[in-house]
Amino acid sequence: MSNLWFLYLFFSALLIFIGIYCLLTMRNLIKLFIAVEIISKGVSLAIVATGAVKNSVLLAQSLAITYIVVEVSLVATALALIINIYKKNKSLDVRLLSKLKG
Amino acid sequence: MVIQILLLCGLIIFSGLAILFKDLLKAALSLAVASLFLGIIFFRLNAPYAGVFEISVVAGLITVLFILTIALTKKEGEVEEAKLAKVVFPLFFILFLIIDGLVMKSLLQKVPSLPSGPEAGTFGEVLWKQRTFDLVAQIGVIFAGVLAVLALFRKKEDDKDE
Repeated sequence: MSNLWFLYLFFSALLIFIGIYCLLTMRNLIKLFIAVEIISKGVSLAIVATGAVKNSVLLAQSLAITYIVVEVSLVATALALIINIYKKNKSLDVRLLSKLKG
Repeated sequence: MVIQILLLCGLIIFSGLAILFKDLLKAALSLAVASLFLGIIFFRLNAPYAGVFEISVVAGLITVLFILTIALTKKEGEVEEAKLAKVVFPLFFILFLIIDGLVMKSLLQKVPSLPSGPEAGTFGEVLWKQRTFDLVAQIGVIFAGVLAVLALFRKKEDDKDE
């Protein structure tokens, strides 16, 4: 069981790494939110796998479902923000946001 | 075990492709395929409800939202990414792979986790009775998201004085 747990957490750490790398290096706002999605996939994989290995899969599922609902809400709000930023700046470049004043 | 490893590799490959593709539409679609892999992994971990949510909500709804946003921003929205970032990515990935393999095993013994033991009841009992406040919080989050989207797409009222 420990080996199985190791396998899942190993891969979930890889997903989180891919997401963080993208967050740190990419400039496109939509790409950045794809990175947030990848990180959240890693986290939900870790939650469900830990529940499955520790015989608490029901609890882990309910936590994962809560997490997915929060994720959807976050993405919907963020994408609405991105569209508004695009309307204002005519670009999705994240570096242009540093010019904001207010 | 072999199937699990193949599914996990597929998940990693499609997630990697999602950040490496220059075309945003292809990136969003490969993210959806990665969600599909994750949903199948959840099914194989005896977590069917989480799998259904992952496939229907994340692979379905979020992909539609991404495609909609890409369609609305396509005309002038292309951004020049740093070329070095994609070139250096495999190097960092392999480095992290090695560190992850070395560190994770010793870390697992130190990190406290949920107590082991068989669970009683059904998924419905756990969700509705044990995690009732989670559901209340979920309703709050959904309302917050809806109100935020409504607020962000609010139209400016025409000022008659001007």
